[in-house]
Amino acid sequence: MNEQMIRFISALRAGGVRVSLAESADAFLAVKMLGVQERESFRLSLRATLVKEASSLPAFDALFPLFFDSGEQPMQDATQDLSPEEAQMLAQSLRQFGDQLRQLLEKLLRGEQLSRQELDLLAQMTGLHRSRELQDRNRYTQRMLRALDFPEVQQATRRLMQLLAQMGMNKQRIHQLQQLIQANQKALQEQVSHYAGQRIAEAMGESPPDAPPLDELLDRPFSALSDQEMALLRKEVHRLANRLRSRIALRQKHAKSGQLDAKATIRANLKHAGVPVTLKHRDHRLKPKILVLCDISTSMRFCSELMLSLVYALQDLVSKTHAFAFIDHLEYISPDFAGKDSNEAIAAVLQRMPPGYYSTDLGLALDQFAQQYLDTVDRRTTFILVGDGRNNDNDPALETFQKLARRSRQMIWINPEPPALWGSGDSDMLRYAPLCSNVVMAATLGELTTAVDQLLSQP
Amino acid sequence: MSETPLFVTPLQVQEALRGQQYIAGDEIATTLFLTMQLGKPLLCEGPAGVGKTELAKSLAHATGRTLIRLQCYEGLDETKALYEWEYAKQLLYTQLLRDKLQDTLAGTNTLAQAADRLAQEEDVFFSMRFLLQRPLLKAILNEQPTVLLIDEIDRADAEFEAFLLEVLSDFQVTVPELGTLVAVHRPIVLLTSNNTRELSEALKRRCLYLFIGYPSMDQELAVVQLKVPELASKLAQQAVDLVHRLRNFDLRKSPSISETLDWAKSLVALNARQLDRDVLENTLSVLLKHESDLQKVRRRLDVTEKGPRLEKDHRPSRWRNEGDSP
Repeated sequence: MNEQMIRFISALRAGGVRVSLAESADAFLAVKMLGVQERESFRLSLRATLVKEASSLPAFDALFPLFFDSGEQPMQDATQDLSPEEAQMLAQSLRQFGDQLRQLLEKLLRGEQLSRQELDLLAQMTGLHRSRELQDRNRYTQRMLRALDFPEVQQATRRLMQLLAQMGMNKQRIHQLQQLIQANQKALQEQVSHYAGQRIAEAMGESPPDAPPLDELLDRPFSALSDQEMALLRKEVHRLANRLRSRIALRQKHAKSGQLDAKATIRANLKHAGVPVTLKHRDHRLKPKILVLCDISTSMRFCSELMLSLVYALQDLVSKTHAFAFIDHLEYISPDFAGKDSNEAIAAVLQRMPPGYYSTDLGLALDQFAQQYLDTVDRRTTFILVGDGRNNDNDPALETFQKLARRSRQMIWINPEPPALWGSGDSDMLRYAPLCSNVVMAATLGELTTAVDQLLSQP
Repeated sequence: MSETPLFVTPLQVQEALRGQQYIAGDEIATTLFLTMQLGKPLLCEGPAGVGKTELAKSLAHATGRTLIRLQCYEGLDETKALYEWEYAKQLLYTQLLRDKLQDTLAGTNTLAQAADRLAQEEDVFFSMRFLLQRPLLKAILNEQPTVLLIDEIDRADAEFEAFLLEVLSDFQVTVPELGTLVAVHRPIVLLTSNNTRELSEALKRRCLYLFIGYPSMDQELAVVQLKVPELASKLAQQAVDLVHRLRNFDLRKSPSISETLDWAKSLVALNARQLDRDVLENTLSVLLKHESDLQKVRRRLDVTEKGPRLEKDHRPSRWRNEGDSP
């Protein structure tokens, strides 16, 4: 059991759940306390000790049965209570089928599970041992079933029933047989699926997926990222944000202004016999208000997404964030982030505003913003625009932009394009740039992080 | 720390909590049992209003321990969470005891002698008398075993979290003037979080974890019947059913158990016989706290003979119950 638990824990780690040594030690302690006899309390003791995030619970729930359930489904023997004549009929009609199909049908009729060797053979045939990802499970299950001629069984069953009917078997009996075959079919399917999951999970635990070269990814331009690399970066954003957090928090804390803290002052000056030589101030945090306006058209998608993740991961350092997204029109997307993981939220927004048919129109978005949401901008607001300034020859609405820039504390433009390209083609960047307090080029996650760091440290 | 454990099985925990009108599922009971057995803090997460704080209160009652609560907020620091010297009182005492001090120091010949004598009396000024105990220290020094509830830890700052780690790992505090104070009894510690920000890995590592989601239909019905027994059972059934369907909606704030209970109470107060349109119109604002949510639900609400119906919402939901079909 201990070995099985260790294998389970390494599969969890491979599945993206962070399990430390201390936590696995806790798990063993907990199991010692509650024992392994009862499946449910065993599961709960592992869950309480190993999983520390709601987002990791699904991974746990998917992996647990693969390691600790036998995967054997109860199957019924359909041939048991057949009369000799009926058995005869069945045997006769089964002869009509090809070898492999007949064997499979017999198995289903008798309610036999696949043996370990058969399963291993199937795995080898389908290349299951190469898979390291649990989401491949269904695909491989299907492949293994196909190798078993499973899709043909449906038709074969029907034909078998027809044959039996022609031979004059009792209708009720035929129906019963059909039901049993279907039930057994399902059980077999479950067994194969369980086996596939188990094999993949074991493989995951033994050789976790290759550690990605993250440092290199940090410096890769957004435009050159594959979907897979993007997924890695999404995870990395959280770590980056955590690192940024303490640095920025400390900087904000040491603000040398604000209300006098009488208690702290007395405490600090006790050594001067109560003469206030050094003054202490109440922590006065100058938290910026942030407003992000993101272009989420295809070319800008990755950049905007990472920017939003970063801003929302640093929520506690900011007094208020309003987020807007636009392609051809403006949408207020802050509500999407309430109580949600930022990855999920962004996925939801992107689903609602799919790219494609329409073209980017920043000018219109700015006008809409000025009409509807102008009250979200005040002199404490840092206005951040993430976009490439490519406006598809639409009206750039420079006046509106200027109005917004004047109203806000600072107007920062984050552009993933290198300055050499600004102004080329349909880019209005050079016209916007003089109106901004700061234009930052950020084409990689590393640059984006630096930009956010600067942005939050000079509120 | 040689107290005999109160509970020997998770089932006993469940029963004890039930005695306090708290219906705990197997998951909650087992996790709490482990928390007490392993002596580790427990981190509870979940949407607001599902009874995380209530759990700590019920546990305190069930175990007969004192509940000490530390509500976290932005800017909370050690002086408010742990201890603080009561300077004003110290100064006042010094002023009032001036004469006595003269007496004590009388008869000394040199300054050094006077200083020595004063030093002997130093303990008077840095004693427990002048120490303001804040919740954490209170929990550590309490003569009786306690349950320490650290509520909404996600609201406190990251630095406070780091400081908390130190206290939670050893249950001892060093006050420079007094020395190290060690816990008399190890408190049962519950932390709650609404997940408004990510907690640090280090803190999570030290805690056991419990996610309390929305309850199943049966559980919630049981809770309503236990807490609001005046509500007719058929009405309660309908009400819980509606709440469950509302949770599958994409709302800004889904109704939790606390809202269900408030609603049940208001139905009783209004003496409602059935959930008809009038009653719903009047009481829906108890369940839904955002104007946009209210409007959205009103648009889709349809009251028939059999009770209220809701049109389906096909948009993804934030906290969907496990196993619930949308």
